[in-house]
Amino acid sequence: MSPQTFDAVVVGAGPAGSAAALEIARAGRSVALIERGPFPGAKNMFGGVVYGRILDTLVPGWWEQAPVQRWVTRRATMVMTPTQALTIDYRTDSWSRPPYNGATVYRADFDPWLAGLAQDAGAELICSTTVTGLIREASGRVRGVRTDRPDGEITAQVVLACDGVNSFLAKEAGLYPHADPGHFTLGVKEVLALPREEIDTRFGLSGLEGADFEIMGCTGDIPGGGFLYTNLDTLSVGVVLRLTGLTKSGRRPEEVIAGMKSHPVIAPLVAGAELKEYSGHLIPEGGYDAMPQLSGDGILVAGDAAALTLAAGIWLEGVNFAIGSGAAAGATAADALAKGDTGPAALSAYRRRLEGNFVLADHRKLRRAPDFILSERVQHRYPAMVCGLVEDLYTVTNPQPKPGGLRAARRQMRKAGVTLWDLARDGWTAWRTFG
Amino acid sequence: MIAVVVVRGGALPAGADETVAEAGGRALLIGDGTAAAAADLRAEVRQVEIVEAGPFAPGAWSAGLAARLAREQLVLLPASPDGRDLAPRLAHTLGRPLLAGALEVSAQRAVLARQGGLVAEEHPIAGPAVVTLVPGVRGVEPLPAGYRPPEPGVVTLSPGAAGVHDAEVVEVSPPDPSTMDLAEAPFILAGGAGLGSEEAFRTLEKVAGALGASMGATRVVTDFGWVPFERQIGTTGVAVDPEVYVAFGISGAVQHTSGLGDPEHIIAVNTDPSCPMMAMAEVAIVSDAPAVLTELAARLEA
Amino acid sequence: MPTVAAAVKWVDRRPEVDPLTGAVTTDARTSGMSEADRAAVEWALRLGERWSWETLVVTAGPPIAESVLRDSLAAGVDRAVRVDCRADLPSPRVAAALAPALSAVDVVVCGDWSLDRGSGSVPAFLAADLGAAQALGVVAIEPAGPAIVDAERRLDGGRRERLRVTAPAVISVEGASARLRRASLSGVRAAQRAPLTTMAGPENGDHGGGALRRGPLRPRPKVLPPPDPSLPPRDRILALTGSLVERTPPQRWALEPSQAAERIIDQLRAWGVGAQ
Ligand SMILES: Cc1cc2nc3c(=O)[nH]c(=O)nc-3n(C[C@H](O)[C@H](O)[C@H](O)COP(=O)(O)OP(=O)(O)OC[C@H]3O[C@@H](n4cnc5c(N)ncnc54)[C@H](O)[C@@H]3O)c2cc1C
Ligand SMILES: Cc1cc2nc3c(=O)[nH]c(=O)nc-3n(C[C@H](O)[C@H](O)[C@H](O)COP(=O)(O)OP(=O)(O)OC[C@H]3O[C@@H](n4cnc5c(N)ncnc54)[C@H](O)[C@@H]3O)c2cc1C
Ligand SMILES: Nc1ncnc2c1ncn2[C@@H]1O[C@H](COP(=O)(O)O)[C@@H](O)[C@H]1O
Repeated sequence: MSPQTFDAVVVGAGPAGSAAALEIARAGRSVALIERGPFPGAKNMFGGVVYGRILDTLVPGWWEQAPVQRWVTRRATMVMTPTQALTIDYRTDSWSRPPYNGATVYRADFDPWLAGLAQDAGAELICSTTVTGLIREASGRVRGVRTDRPDGEITAQVVLACDGVNSFLAKEAGLYPHADPGHFTLGVKEVLALPREEIDTRFGLSGLEGADFEIMGCTGDIPGGGFLYTNLDTLSVGVVLRLTGLTKSGRRPEEVIAGMKSHPVIAPLVAGAELKEYSGHLIPEGGYDAMPQLSGDGILVAGDAAALTLAAGIWLEGVNFAIGSGAAAGATAADALAKGDTGPAALSAYRRRLEGNFVLADHRKLRRAPDFILSERVQHRYPAMVCGLVEDLYTVTNPQPKPGGLRAARRQMRKAGVTLWDLARDGWTAWRTFG
Repeated sequence: MIAVVVVRGGALPAGADETVAEAGGRALLIGDGTAAAAADLRAEVRQVEIVEAGPFAPGAWSAGLAARLAREQLVLLPASPDGRDLAPRLAHTLGRPLLAGALEVSAQRAVLARQGGLVAEEHPIAGPAVVTLVPGVRGVEPLPAGYRPPEPGVVTLSPGAAGVHDAEVVEVSPPDPSTMDLAEAPFILAGGAGLGSEEAFRTLEKVAGALGASMGATRVVTDFGWVPFERQIGTTGVAVDPEVYVAFGISGAVQHTSGLGDPEHIIAVNTDPSCPMMAMAEVAIVSDAPAVLTELAARLEA
Repeated sequence: MPTVAAAVKWVDRRPEVDPLTGAVTTDARTSGMSEADRAAVEWALRLGERWSWETLVVTAGPPIAESVLRDSLAAGVDRAVRVDCRADLPSPRVAAALAPALSAVDVVVCGDWSLDRGSGSVPAFLAADLGAAQALGVVAIEPAGPAIVDAERRLDGGRRERLRVTAPAVISVEGASARLRRASLSGVRAAQRAPLTTMAGPENGDHGGGALRRGPLRPRPKVLPPPDPSLPPRDRILALTGSLVERTPPQRWALEPSQAAERIIDQLRAWGVGAQ
């Protein structure tokens, strides 16, 4: 049997792949969207918040139709030690109205929705089909993919690798120099069922309002962070752990979640909730400096496959970057197909597109963030110091006179093992990273 | 209410006694060797009829029994393979509803197992009906001292039976341990997510082979594809009823244990001493299951 | 041309059952054919190939159930029919709905029981409606001649039965009896566009067979022999509660793997199981 032929083939119907297929189909090209799961999003997991701004141009009025659990109107960052917690808690009404800021979603709802848009535009979605390798010409040029189905070859002018973290397609195409375990974190999460009214009460929400907590200092001796998001009648609770630290600690990730859930600040929020599912997934956290080559001869790489996840402290954003990069890859492929040239030079326009928008700009700007956030001082010493300092200031000590703020600060620095020099240096790094 | 029990070669099916007891002691035995089977009933019988009808023929038998059963309000069969085959044919011929898989039957209502045994539904019985009773759920009252079963009355199939197209029984083979499937295995070694890798299951297979046991698994494991689906024990897999069950790295979720029957002996190996599987076990060993298997394999090879 | 058909049902393969209320939540995305129904399609394909017969797949259900027809077409079935009706009809009515679509069919293969109802009676009702022979809960099928198969079926107590089944016949198969072949890529693509036939089904009004109550399954109390009436009341109570019965207390050990292996082997030997 002769191979199936399309203008383009997109591997992976995650947010990156569906956005890419959508753009290509809209340009009137034939495109196959290949997904290994029985439906898009079947096996995909993530923390739970999608930032929709990127959809504004792609799907105008998306908030009317996207399958959303809750709109995030309350965002908090917590810094904790085993017994203390300091929270910066922000809420605004403006995020509860169009065009909204972030939304909690289930991937099993969101991914099929996005893939459905691509299908409506003319893309051909083929599920339960795993891509097993690239078809290449002698020159090395990519001409299609092989799948695990009988007579499962698909040829195309261009292949878009949107197959997620640790992309074996990008590796097979020689676009990844080498995968360094130091560049990955493991994300694990539990979905906990709780009645909707109970969630509303515990988090002070009403209607479709939702809360998004990012947590630092909750992962013990393993560098990482935690999160807690509200869905309609479930909570997503999880941690992101640096792989090397996890291996060294000998702990199981679910123990780390259990530890976080038993923290005095978190425990009342999750009390009595019933575990519905537990899942884990790798996150490419190497940032800008660990990215693969984004295009090759007949191939483009987008989303997690291109390590385009922003995981840096208060940010855990991947879906928006996946959609942004997928759409850019799709547009590049469509242009190249229109010109009849999908060679390396034509496809390199993809990187320029990404440089020109938030996708690479944010990553370049935050390139130092992962190492900084996961450093020993930021992970352990600063939370202890800051929590200690606030405790000193809030504790009423009379008949002793109140300690001066500066004295308290010095005392806590000493206790946490932080020097002025550390503060100055990290302050400078933080300024350069986030400023 | 009357119990209809299919007899093969004089042997009663699983659940025969319970069905007769549930039907209040009225029974009709059909098949070959029915007289001997009637004498074997361990439930108190008030009235028994026997129909020598030769090899199993569900279509012809329902046609031939229709006239006799039409005056019975409720016809109860054990949900054994033959009972499950005959019951819908009887219901069809008699033009009555079938209430399949009952846990309990009375003149007014039947409690039916649904969703592979996770859900119980209570159905009203408004008129005549055919019901199958799940074997093993009821138990049987002991026979009173000095009990003697009544003489069976002999019934013949009515002529309507001729001309119904049935499959032809070629042979019935006795139980054979080598083709025995999990559901019938008396000794099972099973593994769960705690085994951690596909290789551990290859070791489990070896150990089971060496011990003459069958291998089972939990759904987590069959989901991973480490073990084929037909080895899955539980509500959405195979229901088993072994005498000895050895569980490696299995937490003992209800969906698993509800398919486990009532093993006489259980050994559990788990790192978590307080999980339900360990609580069920007669011998609970806190240890690393994959390592224990490797050790077992080494010992059994030697 | 003679036809062999598979009758398959669209069901949730992973329904969620609330352990407290028995409420069942299903999801269209995880719905499709049960393993048994997939095996039925495979057997229909094998028999069709062996006898050079036409293959057909039928389902009775709402439009969303068409996905099981497309899955079957992708695997190589020639033709597909959906009988339009609601998803929760009782078995005799399902069979009655399917029968007109199968009236010209020589051999029908079904799954042994469906995941949600699990009565396994649709095939038997269907056989009755079609005037066909039935072979239910079959673990292996061997074509014995044109329109004749030998089927092996499980009885209780580990016994098996060999049946010779001559068309017209309805055979229901266990999920483990065959694994549905993997559809080719071109098959999947063609099936997405293939035309399907829809037949009108029964009136949808009353679906019959409604339950009074529904809850989690709790085992019914088993009948136990009453205690010996000649015993004094106190002993009878003790006998009923089982307080005086001797039993092996559960034993719990933390052991090194090698010790654990020894312990297991010894224990199995003590119970008299295991080779040697
Ligand atoms: C614990 C955790 C929490 C996170 N939290 C957030 C968050 O709150 N907000 C946020 O925006 N991001 C979050 N992320 C990141 C986000 O999930 C990812 O960045 C995003 O899913 C990337 O999308 P993608 O389309 O590139 O890849 P994926 O979503 O991984 O999709 C890849 C798709 O390709 C398919 N596939 C893979 N290989 C093959 C193959 N060989 N053949 C066919 N198909 C294949 C897969 O089945 C999958 O559908 C989180 C990630 C984790 C792990
Ligand atoms: C509708 C429905 C139907 C279901 N049907 C079934 C079914 O038919 N059959 C079925 O099995 N499940 C079924 N399940 C799933 C069931 O709920 C459980 O998820 C499953 O049984 C758990 O399998 P497990 O014990 O292997 O895994 P887990 O629950 O993850 O347990 C693993 C165990 O291994 C232990 N362990 C970990 N590491 C080690 C080690 N190194 N050494 C020793 N022990 C270790 C852990 O302490 C734990 O106890 C069903 C679920 C639903 C919702
Ligand atoms: N709605 C339906 N459409 C087609 N086939 C069905 C339907 N319901 C049941 N069947 C077939 O009958 C078998 C047994 O189902 P059941 O009697 O419901 O347990 C299933 O495995 C199917 O092969």
